[in-house]
Amino acid sequence: MSRGAGQGDRLSRFQELFLGFQIDSISGEVAALLDAGAAPKEILSASQRCMEEIGKAFEEGSYYLPELIVAGEMFKRVTERIGPLLSSSAREVRGRIVLGTPKGDIHHLGKDIFRMLAEANDFVVYDLGVDVRPEAFVQKVAETGAEILGMSALITAGFDPMKEVMRLLEEKGLRRRVKVLIGGGVTTKEMVRKLGVDAQTLDAYEGVKIIQSLLMKAEAIA
Amino acid sequence: MKGPGKKIQEKDRLAAEERLEQVVRLEEPDRVPVSMMIYYYGPFHTGTRMSAYMGRPDVYRKVTRKVYEDLGPWDIYYNINPVSRLLYSFVLMMKYLFPGDELPDDVMAQVEEIEYMKAEDYDRILETGYYFSDLAFRLRMLPRFCKEAQSIKPARLWVLLARDIVRQKLFWDRDLRWCREQGLAMQIGFQAEMPFDVFSMARTVIPFSLDLFQRPDKIRRAALRLAPSFAESCIWMARLMGVPRVQCYCHRTSNSFISPRQFEELAFPSLEAVVCRIVEAGMTPILHCDGDWMKNFKALRRLPAKKIILQLDGLTDIFRAKEEIGDHMCLFGDVPADKLVMGSPQEVEEYCHRLIEEVGRGGGFILAAGCEIPYNARPENLRALVQSAYKYGYYGPQASS
Repeated sequence: MSRGAGQGDRLSRFQELFLGFQIDSISGEVAALLDAGAAPKEILSASQRCMEEIGKAFEEGSYYLPELIVAGEMFKRVTERIGPLLSSSAREVRGRIVLGTPKGDIHHLGKDIFRMLAEANDFVVYDLGVDVRPEAFVQKVAETGAEILGMSALITAGFDPMKEVMRLLEEKGLRRRVKVLIGGGVTTKEMVRKLGVDAQTLDAYEGVKIIQSLLMKAEAIA
Repeated sequence: MKGPGKKIQEKDRLAAEERLEQVVRLEEPDRVPVSMMIYYYGPFHTGTRMSAYMGRPDVYRKVTRKVYEDLGPWDIYYNINPVSRLLYSFVLMMKYLFPGDELPDDVMAQVEEIEYMKAEDYDRILETGYYFSDLAFRLRMLPRFCKEAQSIKPARLWVLLARDIVRQKLFWDRDLRWCREQGLAMQIGFQAEMPFDVFSMARTVIPFSLDLFQRPDKIRRAALRLAPSFAESCIWMARLMGVPRVQCYCHRTSNSFISPRQFEELAFPSLEAVVCRIVEAGMTPILHCDGDWMKNFKALRRLPAKKIILQLDGLTDIFRAKEEIGDHMCLFGDVPADKLVMGSPQEVEEYCHRLIEEVGRGGGFILAAGCEIPYNARPENLRALVQSAYKYGYYGPQASS
């Protein structure tokens, strides 16, 4: 399908607004694009390109958490508007994640930011919330067949429940089919070995990159 | 504080208070001082109910003495305990859930992050004058997240706070006497969350991140409007408590939350105003810097030299911090929580040895955990932390004796 010059200009303007973090204008611009006949898939792709560009700038250290958060919020506003118009095959699902803050810890900030970025990167997230019992994590992994389990902790109360999750995954025979990522201010790289998880991060964006790479490796092995 | 107090080790040349003052001035004392920021760990060490420990000053006192007896001595006593929930909420401006009330009896208190401040509250701050602006802001916000402040008229709320301040003063007076008897220096005369950081907490991170793009100038001006009144309250309270140090919480100002440019333009002006006023009053600001601060050091170098303690929590590379700002501020930290909980005494000792050798070189360093001691830390690891100050921490001729 050929695209008119006006529509192409609007799409460029949309990307400029997105990359300029003009969050107040983004929903209006999506509506204008749809009125001008733009395909929802095209708007989604443009948003994803912007997200990638912002993510790259974050990786390079020129953008920080606020830019990522605003980008995630803009992406959310775009998908809320065009989501119902997209056919179910238009959005690829890259993987499924069971996510939560372990028992004893009620902090949700890191988890919420990770969730926002993971969803913007086409992951389906089953968010169990905070203060989650080890059994609940394992049960959800078994029930959904999720490829990834993510646990986020800001205080050391989460350490023992994380250990227990790993023990239960082994006991239920689920460990080999699920990759486990831990994150949060109190976690360290050393804990990967000590807990037997697959990866650790302090950074939600890096977390999304890690799970993408873990899944690619798992697919290559399979 | 009166007199330097007794020496806590035979080899010591200085009392803890003198040692602390010397490291703040970036001088080399007789030994690296050690601070143990113990709060939630106490009840687990002694098998005490957390709710009783947090709610009853007599229980708190008994527990802290027991922990000190078992693991001490060390140099700096972390006097964190509040005598009331209302006062705790007033200084930290966060919604706390307490054991024995919203949480089970035997767990530590936790913060529930709720959006209690609206975007229009920046305007409200800017409409008020400078005098008592921070106090007025806190009193206006408290009923929105602190149940003890709900359904109470502002005048009555102020009376209740004044009563709790007096109770805190009386409680700390007894603590101060005990500290002197032990030869301990007291860490805190007053503590409070900095204005910029209160905004981030009160709006919560996602709305606050949007504010940084939608109304940056209002954030900067509102924080600056609160700064002088905030600083005066800190100074007044620290004077009342009799300890010339103010612990200023910067939970949300690191590069983990905002960019160096946002720090420089939006957060630093109010931070600078607060810090300079505290220094001018002859007190030591302790900047409690959670997160990664590496890219903020350039701005921090504009603060007064040899007057400030910089507390790092393990997320800033303290070894690089020594190179970049160690000639300007006293560094405090930063044994990571996971080492204290999951590590061995040998691992803790090795890390402390490295801290002492590299960050402690030439003085200007206080050995401590990165932030508070975790409640589930292993006692043998805490002993290793304290003892490493005596094993490796001596300077000059005492080092080899």
